[in-house]
Amino acid sequence: MRSQSFELKELPIKIIWAVVFLTIVGLIVLRSISQHHPGGVLQNPFSKQFLFLIPAIICMIGIIYIPRFTIHKYSYTVYAIGIIFVILPFFGSPHAGTYRWLNMGLPFGIQPSEFAKVFTIIALARYLSDHNLQMKHFTATIIPFLLVLVPTAIVMNQPDLGTAIVIMTPVLPMLYWSGARPFHLFLLLAPLLSMLTAFHNIAFTVWTIVLGMTIIIARPKRLLSLGLFFGNVFLGLFSPFLWNSLTIYQQNRILTFINPEKDPLGAAYQIIQSKTAIGSGGLFGKGWGEGTQTHLKFLPVQESDFILSVMGEELGFVTVSLVLVVFGYLIAQVMKQSYFSKDRFSSLALIGFATIFMAHVFVNTAMTVGLIPVKGLPFPFISAGGSFLITSYMMIGLILKLSVNYTD
Amino acid sequence: MLKADNIVSFHQYLVAIGITWLLIIVLLARFFQIQILGHDRYQKKANTNRIRKVTTTAPRGLILDRNGQILVDNLPTYVLTAIPGELSEKGEKFGIISNIIGLDSITVSKNYKKYYRGRFIPTRLAKDLTFHQISKLEENRLNLEGVYYQQFPERYFPSKVRASHILGYVKEVDKPIRNSLDDKNEYELGDMIGWNGLEKKYESYLKGKRGVYFYEVDAFGREVGYVTDLPPQNPEPGQNIITTLDINVQETLEKLMEGRRGVILVGIPETGEILGAVSAPDYKPDLFTGLMLEQEWKNVLNYPEKPLINRFNQGLYPPGSIVKMVTAATLLNNPEFDPYGERKCEGSYQIGDRLFRCWWIQGHGKMNLTSAMLNSCDIYFYKSIHYFDLDKLSNSFRAFGFGQPTQIDISGESSGLVPSISYMNKRYGRYGWSKGALLNISIGQGELLVTPIQVFNYVNLIASKGKAKVPHFVMVDRLPENVQPDFESDLWDRIVLDMRAVIAHKNGTGKSAQPNIPGLKVFGKTGTAENPHGEDHAWFTGWAEYYDQKFSIVVLLENGGSGGTVAAPMAGMVFSQIIHHQEMAAEL
Repeated sequence: MRSQSFELKELPIKIIWAVVFLTIVGLIVLRSISQHHPGGVLQNPFSKQFLFLIPAIICMIGIIYIPRFTIHKYSYTVYAIGIIFVILPFFGSPHAGTYRWLNMGLPFGIQPSEFAKVFTIIALARYLSDHNLQMKHFTATIIPFLLVLVPTAIVMNQPDLGTAIVIMTPVLPMLYWSGARPFHLFLLLAPLLSMLTAFHNIAFTVWTIVLGMTIIIARPKRLLSLGLFFGNVFLGLFSPFLWNSLTIYQQNRILTFINPEKDPLGAAYQIIQSKTAIGSGGLFGKGWGEGTQTHLKFLPVQESDFILSVMGEELGFVTVSLVLVVFGYLIAQVMKQSYFSKDRFSSLALIGFATIFMAHVFVNTAMTVGLIPVKGLPFPFISAGGSFLITSYMMIGLILKLSVNYTD
Repeated sequence: MLKADNIVSFHQYLVAIGITWLLIIVLLARFFQIQILGHDRYQKKANTNRIRKVTTTAPRGLILDRNGQILVDNLPTYVLTAIPGELSEKGEKFGIISNIIGLDSITVSKNYKKYYRGRFIPTRLAKDLTFHQISKLEENRLNLEGVYYQQFPERYFPSKVRASHILGYVKEVDKPIRNSLDDKNEYELGDMIGWNGLEKKYESYLKGKRGVYFYEVDAFGREVGYVTDLPPQNPEPGQNIITTLDINVQETLEKLMEGRRGVILVGIPETGEILGAVSAPDYKPDLFTGLMLEQEWKNVLNYPEKPLINRFNQGLYPPGSIVKMVTAATLLNNPEFDPYGERKCEGSYQIGDRLFRCWWIQGHGKMNLTSAMLNSCDIYFYKSIHYFDLDKLSNSFRAFGFGQPTQIDISGESSGLVPSISYMNKRYGRYGWSKGALLNISIGQGELLVTPIQVFNYVNLIASKGKAKVPHFVMVDRLPENVQPDFESDLWDRIVLDMRAVIAHKNGTGKSAQPNIPGLKVFGKTGTAENPHGEDHAWFTGWAEYYDQKFSIVVLLENGGSGGTVAAPMAGMVFSQIIHHQEMAAEL
């Protein structure tokens, strides 16, 4: 058996370069925003991000030196501790009406929900790799689902819809990776679609037809198929009642997405300003530090949620495309490592992390260009935000660690 | 167990990679749509988003008298504003402010609410602050964070005359006013607009052009700098207007009319220029400037003598005997009329069952046109006009400009009333009125109503033998066409001679209008008009000739009594003062 040490040159260097590139672009954009930032030198987003890079990189390197079997062995323990960690903010005082932040006497707050992304994937990967599951059976998907639902439910109550969605997303590709039938994944998604389409008559009709056809093609047992079909239809019919149980804040976000003109100074204002910033940037942008929408503060939460709009305005379509392509490349590289990985645990964890990144990129980007409702989600490596930067680097650390093909 | 083998197939790997790139492409396509295809649209939007147009007030033009003396000027006053977003502890600050400027703090906070337009837009708290008050506020600078002041030019009246009905006043443009304007885009809320008198009539000259500059603002509306590629345009001050008024004449008239009720107008007959005009009682010209308490306004409005009414172009009065020259002209224009033919005045004259009296109950005895004029005998005119058609008389009145606006350059002018046959038929029915109406009108009574400015134009026309220009207050290049009564030269001479007789003859009713100044000849006619409001109105109208100069005059004293004893001496005083001032000026 080889020792714990490994050759650094075995690390997938392409992933590292992609991360370095994205981090530098992020710092460049943050530097522009920070030009006219009030407050001290260390208070501006650029300096903060720069300082947070230090613990982030330390975490990443530290993780690389943790033996793979240790990660595997303590994954459930970390999951349990993590869940407690995520519940902790509820015992503190709310911050802007939410329980996202944990104040531990540090000069900055910590968002435990960020770390939930990491430990959920590790626990899920362990569960799915440990049990030689009969994934062809639908029932096998229930426990992995519960593993994900616990942190998701907690985070959703903070409330933080965006992060909750991101935590939930990896379960689908991970189940797919471990051999679940696409039909079963479809059945997992079906209730969600039933609920969403229920608010629109035509959409709901089309959905019930698609649902029925899929069930007929997949040919499950007759009783099951009837149960599935009517279960979904009834869920759809009940969802207006569920809707009423949502908080006004959650309802408003969904509503303004459906009709942005309805609330031009609320969430829709943010989308309109974001699109204006991006659109006015054009092919090459207005130039670094020249973004009028950005610097005249028309653009909201520009250092985190809408940082891509700043990039679009100042550095143009060229830079935005480059960043998105580099990100696609990064994710594709992680997936490649996952495919070539020798053990199932690593493979599953890698596809999980790839999905987390993809979910962040897609949700954040789609939000800034008005494709989906406003979700408070940052763009990995580029948006300012300490906890998320550290989480991202931790995930990269894990990706690098699990990518290295050697046997313990 | 870590021993579990990776079971991912190439097919699964391809699906995952495919979905990843598909999502990236969707996002790229969306960016392409917004950034490349929608670039122009968003570019435009981004520009209007950040550039705010700010305009600055242009100072109004000055109003000068005919010699260049300033009647209306601009005085820089200060407006106190607050930026709501920077204002904390409002109540406390309003308290400090009200202590300093002596306005109660409820008014200050009322203003604040009234003018509030946004968190970073200056909101007016008080206006018309003096430099002294501003310096006191400046001492409290530290306690008044978020409170600012701006200079604001206000109308100011530096001369010794009031001339309030002529000059008029300006008003602050508010929303209803702005909406009622035709050229509403030229005004902003808080601007001043001429609302009366010359300020209104010559608004387009006086108002000037606003300056424009462009600010870059942030999303909160805070100004962050100028826009370099849109240069600012400085405001263009309004043009000054030179009036026909003479400060000295105006002052004389105002002093004379103090405590009286009526009108006095002085001008130059040929040119129609008005040297002085008073409608008494009047008000202080700065009544509408600055702070006006509601009570003060109510007092002005409800004052029984109605100082706000501009009597010289809005007041309608029976003219009495001063219009006898119209009747005389009507008579003289008829070739069968003999001005030397005598008619006997026995103090009364009966038509049908109505008895018409002369003002001189005992009767004037035998009268011809001249003696009837100088005695102002009514019976002579009744008897002479008796067989005339009413329309013939009313056409003469119209020829002298009665019954229609004179087109003087102050708005709100009344037309007066010259009854014609059709008017009488309409009002009283075809058989509801009689010859008596004609007789009444011939001596300036009955339904006939005139404005003093019409009388002024009428006397100008006589003095200039029909060539007078429209009466006006401002020196302008082009005047509207005046009426042109077309009579033979003999006829004019005859009337002028008779008007001289009214002053010069020992029995003339207007003899007290002649001051004892060598070379000065006064022509005129008195009038004592019966009216339903009590005592008779006293009238005098005429002109003075002094070498090559002529000064026409109209004096009206509401319920003043006899024109000969009250109005004529005032005219005499005016003439002597004008000449006196001229001599003084000549000596200097």
